[in-house]
Amino acid sequence: MVGKKINSRDESKHKKEGGGNRKRNQLNSKTLNQEKNTKRRTGPHLPTALRKELELINHTNPSNIDEEEIDSDDANDVYEYEEAIPEEESKKNRRFDSVKNFEYELPDQFEDENLASDDNDEDDDVNGSGENHNGDGVEEEDDVRHARMLQGISGLPSEAFEGKKRKNDVVISEAYPESEYNPSRDVLDGDGRISIQDLLDPLHGKSGFSKLRKSVHRMERKSMSIQAPLPKPDQEKLERKVAYEQSKKDITKWEPLVKRNREASTLYFDESIDLGFSTVGAIASEFEPRTDFEKKIASLVYDNEVVEAHQKDGARLLELNKISVEDVKDRQNRLAKMRSLLFSHEIKAKRIKKIKSKTFHRLLKKDRLKAAAAEMEMDPEAVKELAMKQEFKRAEERMTLKHKNSSKWAKRILKRGLNVQDEGTRGAISEQLHQHALLTRKMNSMKDSSSSDESSDEDDRDEISAGSDQDVASKLLERAKEKTLEVIEEDDEVPKSGVLSLPFMVRGLKKRKETADEEAKLALQEYESSLKHMEDKNGIEGQKTGTSSGRRVFGAPKKKVEESSKRIKADNYYGNSDSENDFEVKEDFDVGHNRIDNLQKDINIDPDLLCDKSEIGQDPMFKSFDDIVKDPGPKITFEVAIFASDSWRKIKNLAKNDNEHMRRETKIDASIKNPSKVVQPPLSEQDVEEVGDESDTDSEGQMVDGILSSGTKSTYELPSQADLIRRAFVGDDVEEDFEKDKQEILNKENPEPEKPVLLPGWGQWTCVQQKKGLPSWMLEEHENAKKKREDALKKRRDVHLTHVIISEKLDKKAEKLHTKTLPFPYTSKEVLEQSIRMPIGPEFNPATAIGALNRPDVVKKPGVIIKPIKFEDLNPHERAEEHKRSGQKQKKKTANRLRLLAWSTYPFLVHKVPCPKGSSFWLPPIQVFASFNLLLSIVMSVNFLKFRRRHWWQSCYIWAGGVYHLLDHIFFFQ
Amino acid sequence: MLMDLYTENSDEMDTKIKKYLRGEGANLEVLKDKKLKGQLAAREELYGKSAKAAAKAEKWLMPSEGGYLEAEGIEKTWRIKQESIAREVDILSSKNQYDIVLPELGPYTLDFTSSGRYMAVAGRKGHLAVIDMKNMGLIKEFQVRETVRDVVFLHNELFFAAAQKKYLYIYNRDGTELHCLKEHGPVLKLQFLKNHFLLASINKFSQLHYQDVTTGEMVGNYRTGLGRSDVMQVNPFNSVVALGHSNGTVSMWKPTSAAPLVKMLCHRGPVSAVAFHSNGHLMATAGMERKIKLWDLRKFEVLQTLTGHAKTMDFSQKGLLATATGSFVQILGDFSASQNYSRYMGHSMAKGYQIRKVLFRPYEDVLGLGHSMGWSSILIPGSGEPNFDSWVANPFETSKQRKEKEIRSLLDKLPPETIMLDPTKIGTVRPSRKKEQPTKQEREAEMEAAIAAAKDIPIKKKTKGRNKPSKKLRKRQEGVERAKRPFLEQQMDEEESSKKKRLKLNEEENQLPKSLQRFARKKAT
Repeated sequence: MVGKKINSRDESKHKKEGGGNRKRNQLNSKTLNQEKNTKRRTGPHLPTALRKELELINHTNPSNIDEEEIDSDDANDVYEYEEAIPEEESKKNRRFDSVKNFEYELPDQFEDENLASDDNDEDDDVNGSGENHNGDGVEEEDDVRHARMLQGISGLPSEAFEGKKRKNDVVISEAYPESEYNPSRDVLDGDGRISIQDLLDPLHGKSGFSKLRKSVHRMERKSMSIQAPLPKPDQEKLERKVAYEQSKKDITKWEPLVKRNREASTLYFDESIDLGFSTVGAIASEFEPRTDFEKKIASLVYDNEVVEAHQKDGARLLELNKISVEDVKDRQNRLAKMRSLLFSHEIKAKRIKKIKSKTFHRLLKKDRLKAAAAEMEMDPEAVKELAMKQEFKRAEERMTLKHKNSSKWAKRILKRGLNVQDEGTRGAISEQLHQHALLTRKMNSMKDSSSSDESSDEDDRDEISAGSDQDVASKLLERAKEKTLEVIEEDDEVPKSGVLSLPFMVRGLKKRKETADEEAKLALQEYESSLKHMEDKNGIEGQKTGTSSGRRVFGAPKKKVEESSKRIKADNYYGNSDSENDFEVKEDFDVGHNRIDNLQKDINIDPDLLCDKSEIGQDPMFKSFDDIVKDPGPKITFEVAIFASDSWRKIKNLAKNDNEHMRRETKIDASIKNPSKVVQPPLSEQDVEEVGDESDTDSEGQMVDGILSSGTKSTYELPSQADLIRRAFVGDDVEEDFEKDKQEILNKENPEPEKPVLLPGWGQWTCVQQKKGLPSWMLEEHENAKKKREDALKKRRDVHLTHVIISEKLDKKAEKLHTKTLPFPYTSKEVLEQSIRMPIGPEFNPATAIGALNRPDVVKKPGVIIKPIKFEDLNPHERAEEHKRSGQKQKKKTANRLRLLAWSTYPFLVHKVPCPKGSSFWLPPIQVFASFNLLLSIVMSVNFLKFRRRHWWQSCYIWAGGVYHLLDHIFFFQ
Repeated sequence: MLMDLYTENSDEMDTKIKKYLRGEGANLEVLKDKKLKGQLAAREELYGKSAKAAAKAEKWLMPSEGGYLEAEGIEKTWRIKQESIAREVDILSSKNQYDIVLPELGPYTLDFTSSGRYMAVAGRKGHLAVIDMKNMGLIKEFQVRETVRDVVFLHNELFFAAAQKKYLYIYNRDGTELHCLKEHGPVLKLQFLKNHFLLASINKFSQLHYQDVTTGEMVGNYRTGLGRSDVMQVNPFNSVVALGHSNGTVSMWKPTSAAPLVKMLCHRGPVSAVAFHSNGHLMATAGMERKIKLWDLRKFEVLQTLTGHAKTMDFSQKGLLATATGSFVQILGDFSASQNYSRYMGHSMAKGYQIRKVLFRPYEDVLGLGHSMGWSSILIPGSGEPNFDSWVANPFETSKQRKEKEIRSLLDKLPPETIMLDPTKIGTVRPSRKKEQPTKQEREAEMEAAIAAAKDIPIKKKTKGRNKPSKKLRKRQEGVERAKRPFLEQQMDEEESSKKKRLKLNEEENQLPKSLQRFARKKAT
């Protein structure tokens, strides 16, 4: 039966473990042998869940399983499932790397002691139950033997052990898994426990036994069953909880500290830290020799003798300074060698220098050049150097003109004549010239900066401005004519795509072009007439004008006579009905004037052209002015004055018609006849001031010559062009212009939406669509765009200001000066703006405030190590800023506490010690407590209260009472 | 009595402190972010301390007060002559009254350094000179033999720029030509922007140039397109350059935009002079049509219109306005502190002298006049700032201080893009291009207006049977609904989009692992 039991257990085990435990089974073969046939074969079987299902299905014939079992029994070896050895382990054909099997393999002849003992134990259990003693004889015998052994060792009676056995049947669950560190009780004591009784027994009759027994009895009486410890997770949970509470308390004490640091605007990490080394000397003094060399040096320097010698007068140092003979010799030898080397080198150089062979030197030079070339290839620095050298040479050449036949030799040869010279000399001369050309050739032309040589365009301008010369002027006129013709002929191709192809743009362009053409035509006429005039003059004046230089010279008196004589002739070429001098000039002036106006309006269109035109436009007019001005004789100055005043008046009433104008002219003509009337100094003086900048040209002419005479004032009498223009336009309808301008800018900044148009022909073949007109969505879109534009216009800053245009253009460069979004902690724009309203620079704040305003978040000395935060006691209710005073406060607090404590113990002091602030609350309780103390001490002193024992504190009270009384008396009756 | 004095003092201090606080602090109560609130509170406290210290410094360290003329009885301040002033003032001040007659080299123009210590004069016919005003010593004088149209000091007295016939030149104090700036062309008028180290010029072709004098870079080159003008003045507050044009407009420019910032029609005739008050709010313009106007540049409105010609104008540090035409100078003053300028003083030169330039000397009660016969200087009591700040401009500067200041000002040099109409806006949030959404109330108001409009539409009288009141009512209701519809649709759209956004956000959040979800971006509140 026992065997069966074991077997069944084994079976269940087997089921659980599958085939993995075969070895164990073998171990138990002793017992298993008998039931070998009952052992069930294991093999692949269905999962339990499925099996249960099957069972449910086959509920009707439960014998099925039995049958199967039998079947399986019958089919003994066929379905035996053996766990296959993994392929790696089988080492088949060595296809796999050898793998160490970490699963512990037991040796074949292994007997599991534990298991055996387990079995024994079970047997013991069985034995202990007393149901069957004869089940296993061998075991029984073992027990007896064991008991005997114990008896022998311990000297205790065998009953002790037997009693143990009896108690042993209580099953105590093990708290920990069995292991060699936690042996099961059975292993420790073999069969049972050793009780205290057992231990006491041998002491029986010895002294103190009764005492011991008594105490043991007492303990037994009180004995309580120990509660089973809590399950581990619960225990740990509790532990964690406690630990959390503890650490929470621990951490919360840091809270005020952390809060303070967080709120502080600046953290300091450099408080009173001495970096240690302040001077180089201090650092040097810390030096310790480490390497061998350093040690050697140190040993020499700190040699006792040397140090001593230093400390004394130093005379001994001389003795120590002795040098060995060998050293001296060595040095001499070395020097001699060096000297001889130098000498030989020198001689060599001399020899080379002496060699007069050109070929040799040429070869030498070649070598050097080669080397240089090689070097140049290697590094760009050399190239640069070379370039610099060349540039320098070039400059030198240009300065000295050394190779430009300026030498004595060359001069002499040239003096004699080149033709006389022989071939070689001529060759040398030409060679020299060639060299000059080579040297002065510009290598890499550098870009002209603003202050360098004049650029071509400036030259051009110079030419123009200096164009008082007739031929130059005519040339200029020619050129201008060409240009204007070009402008006229130039057919502006209307761009077919892009912004310019938009209808309104096209219209605008066309309009502009028309106006430009008109002007150009006008200008052309002008040019032609003046050209004619010029040609005529040229023809007569001939060479004289040719000789005059580039500058416009007004002071030259020779020319003027002739000019004046020719002037009348020239007038005929003007196609005017009136051949009068003044008028013609005026006409001329007018035209030019008009043109300039137009040009100024159109300044955006063609600035280059403008540049030329304005100059040119002024030129002829000035010419005519000049003609008049330069005419010698009183009559001419007359005319100038008249002219000036006249034009003056004329401009004033520009609006008046020509007829009136003519009449006025005649009047003035009449006035010419009266010379005394004409010259009006006050007027001219006025004019001096009115003269704008055009007058520059006049005055310049004189200043170039270096004659700064006071007579030049007369030139100021001519009213300047700009001024005339200005005056002419006083009171024009500037407001309307401005409005137009504003509208234009508005349109530019908020362009008007295009009118919806259908493709021509699209949907027009049915009358229905034609009747319907444009599709509604188009109209709607148009409306929306219009509305949007209106909204945008309404939002402009200058909506209500008719006289102001404020550009709404965003400056991209200035965008970086604004933040894109609000910086992090801020949530509203106003707060941000108000927080940065104050400038924090030193220009705007007193010196006392700058430091605080600009202090960084963290102040730290370089090189200082930031130590981890240290705990300091802080009052959590204290403001962060007051923390500097906190130390003082802390001290004050402790003093207060001490004082309160003193009162509580010596209440009589209350009257004597000045009470600190805020302690009034504590006074009554202290009094009460003190009176209670007094009462108690009195009670004690008279032994009113009785304790079983006298305690030490009783006497304290008594003494305190006595002393108190005494002191009280003393203090009260003082 | 003592108490009275005390309260008065404290009131005075309060106003001063308020001035130095430069506006109200933010309302911190509204802030939800405690940390920010704490920080801002600390900052405000610092500002308060600074303002208080500044007010105290002003009280104790700036004791001198500007003087002014006071008329007694029927006396008028503008009748007081320079001679009578000279009789009253101390010797040092009376030395500031003089005429220097140099009839040869044409009308003179002048410029002072920012400290008022040095003066550069330029005769039209090529006379250039630098003068130390403290001891009236001539530092250098030379002839360029060319028309000189304008002269201006650069950042200190060591360098000055002269606009000559063809080009612009920079000379040093010794008269050595340092640079010839050809790109500027024939310059008519010059200005130097001190904080930006920019030399601004307008040339004959009405091109405006800005050149950085430290690097030589041409920062800006713009065609004004408004015709030639020689009226140019820089606004000292924001360094915006104003040009006066012949069509009566004044345009304001900055170096980083090709279009004028502001263009305002100031006069019906050509603008002859422009001047700016040092606070930057006040501009004076003079037109050829005998008008002088004072403008508030914050609102771009006329404050005051006076009659009179002015060829040249200048504001003093204390806000007096000098205007000159012909040989007569008039000083206007604002003594009621209400920006209402009235006659303060007048001075007429010898007949025939044509004044070309008036310029107040900084930190002195002196007005410099450049005219056709040389230059003169007269006393205008109350024009100059009595207390100078040696950090800003020091009339008694030593050469070492000057060197140090040069370095400092170079380090503080501002980039050209900081020039804008309102420089106080620097550092704030960029003005958004997008138009803001209308608020809910606005939208509701709009809807209500639309509904009211729909209700008001008169209903046609229809033929019998179709003119029932019920039908009319229905029609009206339909109209109302139609009017409402676009608004409701818009609302729906918005809701939908916001819902979508929320969904998307949720999805994003869900994509994160559980542990990180709490770090997902919260919806901005």
